[in-house]
Amino acid sequence: MPIKFSGDFEVARTPEEVFTFLTDPNKFCPLLPEFKGMTVQDATHFTVKVNVGISYIKGVADVKMELAEADHPKRAQYKGQGNVAGGGATLVAGFDLTPTPTGTKVAWQGEAQVFGRLTSVAGGLLEPLGKKQIQKLIDGLQHALQNSKEKESEGIAS
Amino acid sequence: MSASTTKGWVGRSIPRKEENRLLRGRGKFIDDIKMRDMAYLRFVRSPYAHARITNVDTTAAEAVPGVVCVVTGQEIMAQTQPFIEIGPDPGGKIRDFPMATDKVRYQGEPVVAIIAESSRLADDAAELVQIDYEPLPPVTTVDEALSDASLIHPDIGTNRNWTGVYEYGNVDKAFEEAAYVVSIDRMHFHRFSSTPLENNVVIGQWDSKDDNLYYWCNNSFPSFAIQFLAAHLGVPIDKIRVQTFDIGGSFGIKITTYPQMAVCALASKKCGGRPIKWAETRSEHMTSSAHGNERTFFDTKVALDKNGVIAAISSRHVDDCGAFPRYEPLGCVIFTQVLCGTYRFRNVHIEFSQVVTNKCPVGPNRGYSRMQQLWFLERVIDICGHELGIPNDEIRLRNYVRPEEFPYTTPNGCVYDSGNYPKMLERGKQLLKWDEWQEKVKAMRAEGRFVGIGIGTTLDSGTNNFGQARIVNPGAPFSGNSQGANCKLDIYGEVVVAVGSCPQGQGHETTAAQVVADVLNIPPDLVTVRTGFDTERNVHTGFSGTYASQFAVSGLSAVHGAAQKLKGEIVQLAAFRLETSEDDIELGMGNMGPEARSRTRGTSINYWSLANLVNVNSAELPPELYHITLNCRYVWRAPFKVPNLEKKFGNLTLTYAAQLHIAVVEVDRETFVPKILDYVAIEDCGKAINPAIVEGQVYGATAHGIGAAIMETCAYDESGNMLTSTFSDYTPITSMNMPLLKFDHIETPSPNTYSGAKGMGEGGAAPIHAMSAAIQDALFAEGIVVDDSFNNAESIFRSLGTKERSQRSKLVKVEKRV
Repeated sequence: MPIKFSGDFEVARTPEEVFTFLTDPNKFCPLLPEFKGMTVQDATHFTVKVNVGISYIKGVADVKMELAEADHPKRAQYKGQGNVAGGGATLVAGFDLTPTPTGTKVAWQGEAQVFGRLTSVAGGLLEPLGKKQIQKLIDGLQHALQNSKEKESEGIAS
Repeated sequence: MSASTTKGWVGRSIPRKEENRLLRGRGKFIDDIKMRDMAYLRFVRSPYAHARITNVDTTAAEAVPGVVCVVTGQEIMAQTQPFIEIGPDPGGKIRDFPMATDKVRYQGEPVVAIIAESSRLADDAAELVQIDYEPLPPVTTVDEALSDASLIHPDIGTNRNWTGVYEYGNVDKAFEEAAYVVSIDRMHFHRFSSTPLENNVVIGQWDSKDDNLYYWCNNSFPSFAIQFLAAHLGVPIDKIRVQTFDIGGSFGIKITTYPQMAVCALASKKCGGRPIKWAETRSEHMTSSAHGNERTFFDTKVALDKNGVIAAISSRHVDDCGAFPRYEPLGCVIFTQVLCGTYRFRNVHIEFSQVVTNKCPVGPNRGYSRMQQLWFLERVIDICGHELGIPNDEIRLRNYVRPEEFPYTTPNGCVYDSGNYPKMLERGKQLLKWDEWQEKVKAMRAEGRFVGIGIGTTLDSGTNNFGQARIVNPGAPFSGNSQGANCKLDIYGEVVVAVGSCPQGQGHETTAAQVVADVLNIPPDLVTVRTGFDTERNVHTGFSGTYASQFAVSGLSAVHGAAQKLKGEIVQLAAFRLETSEDDIELGMGNMGPEARSRTRGTSINYWSLANLVNVNSAELPPELYHITLNCRYVWRAPFKVPNLEKKFGNLTLTYAAQLHIAVVEVDRETFVPKILDYVAIEDCGKAINPAIVEGQVYGATAHGIGAAIMETCAYDESGNMLTSTFSDYTPITSMNMPLLKFDHIETPSPNTYSGAKGMGEGGAAPIHAMSAAIQDALFAEGIVVDDSFNNAESIFRSLGTKERSQRSKLVKVEKRV
């Protein structure tokens, strides 16, 4: 069952700054929930290791990520595919950036889907858990953008 | 045991011979077998229902210490031919390999096989295999399949792998003359499976010394499997040896394990001839072994006269066979064995199609293809009965084939050998205390309770005419049916019987011994029965195995024939030795065990002496008796003809056992849980060889059916994820869910078998019909008709609570013309 998500937030950064942040795997990927590490293949392809766990199914998943769209400074979209114990997962997450008088409105939307035995074993837990993880990602992104701004204003290199 | 007690073993409920072994944990199952140098196979399976495979990387898995080798679908494709397709084009063009090659077509499809020194190592290495997929739109419903928007096998250009029309009588005329026409928009028979105690297990060895293939497995139709394997692997069939031993249940589902058998052979070859064991896990079994066929019935129209007697049925049926047809499209004709069920109507028009979907391939599941048709007919009867205000017992009596009409030829040429359906109904009602329950139900309904009584009448057609395969594919090289058996006195005079069946709890050792005991006039204890398939015993035919309710007919007829041949040789030999005529010889028990004796001279010779004469003392044998071997093979052949393919007409099955079940069910008003208040099962399998075994099989079939009716479903979501891949979700029935069963047996002997027995054991899914009928009876006043064979609390809630389904006002129309 696909888990669809969307929302938006505003941040006091220019669209260019937000776009640069979003399209830099080294900055974006650590925001993924349960991030453990990553390997960069090229500017748009990288593999992220994340901890996964639902109930007694626990493990580390290798998620192959691709920066599928990068329309500077308006839109970025990531696509990911990973294998986890007893199943697989796909993720599509897009970010549309619109300038506002005080910064940038980040409208996010996407779809995550889990396949395989996990769907049976985890059952109804998947959707709330998926939404929770996505909210964590968005909260992390919002916080990181805000935090990096504060660090810059304090003269600390991000 | 004295000679006086040795007569008439057939028909007696003697204890099962195999019980001593099985109940003491001394059964021999495949996973018990350990072999020198054996390696273990684990499949890496697709999490996707439908996806293109873009990359397979097995490097990390191969590097794990203890991993012997890795096999991919691409490797297999390069070495083998696709499996034979039973169906004609377009389905005949489907290329079916045992593992996915370019794309995956159902969740759980094998993509890579890991072979390691232990099963645990194989498990660990399997997790390191990296497979990249590009998801494709999944096809999970017949509507999606029929639209052909997403093609599962693009090469064939459609998802519809078989279509045919079955028309008999004069349907148009029957509808013109009808007093009532009842239309039912759509009904659905759900997908469920079997849950044998023992999952599928295969040990395969492609022996590098003799280049032969050896299998030790629990496949339940090995003679079918080896025909597929020989063509697929490109080896002569006589180089394949298959042995089966005890099998912990199959219910038909273990027929289609030849893909896994092929992978084990190829893995063995790659490993230099080591034996390879694959033992399926429970969740693999649930997602990837085989499921029963799912079927949707569209646009059903029923013509009835003013008394509610059905004159004609017209309908469109679409069967979902999952990702690969495999045993299909045989189900597209097998349902016509019971085209009209237990009913007399003569005019039928059914357009039948089968489609592929992104679900687990189907296999012959207990009651295979007939139970869907029987459920459909029972729904038609009950819906018409309710709509016309005719009680559910009465409408059946008006429509049943009458006892005096047997043997009864159906519109499509099937010959029902014997039966008495009104008597079964009468007995069922007596056992239930029908009238008392009618009063109780009235009183309970007056209290606002949802209570109903449902009847399910079914046929358990057994011993197939494989010529029906030609109706779906005129080029199919099958017809008739045969079974082989061997009966001998071994060197020391022991009676040994070998049969080509694969019993999975049906008591073949016992019933075969009963048959031989009667022929030789000895106790069954003195008959050793070698069950389990073994190609090298040379007793099998191309039909050998255990399936389709036939052992009592085909298997025991073969055993009976072999025993008669042996008896003839014993008599001939004894007459020579006792210097008397053959007419003077009788068989029985003497002081020295089984013997042949002269009635007039009082002399006798025991079996040891007879066997000695033939086997190790042959110089005493005159040349005119050299033909005697005391080792008698007999092949029984069913008296079938090839059906008329143009008219789709002919006798498709030799015997028609029947079951009639009655269920009293209450649906809880608050939880919607259906609860069985009373339950009756009446069986007619002709002469019961061993009534206790028959009763046991009725209990098993009843449990299977009740489970399917209210607990068990292979549920998929719209992405093709199987949601019930564990017992926690599938909730197979247990003894705790079973009602106390009131059981009785009536006997209408079959004229087609030497003993009067009819094949049984599948049960025709009578409980599903009875439960659907009872639930409809309970809820009809609420505007509900049961249009789905699966009715658990959630689905009843969706009918009664949210009104999403089963609404009479949307599903049923009645046109009254009188």
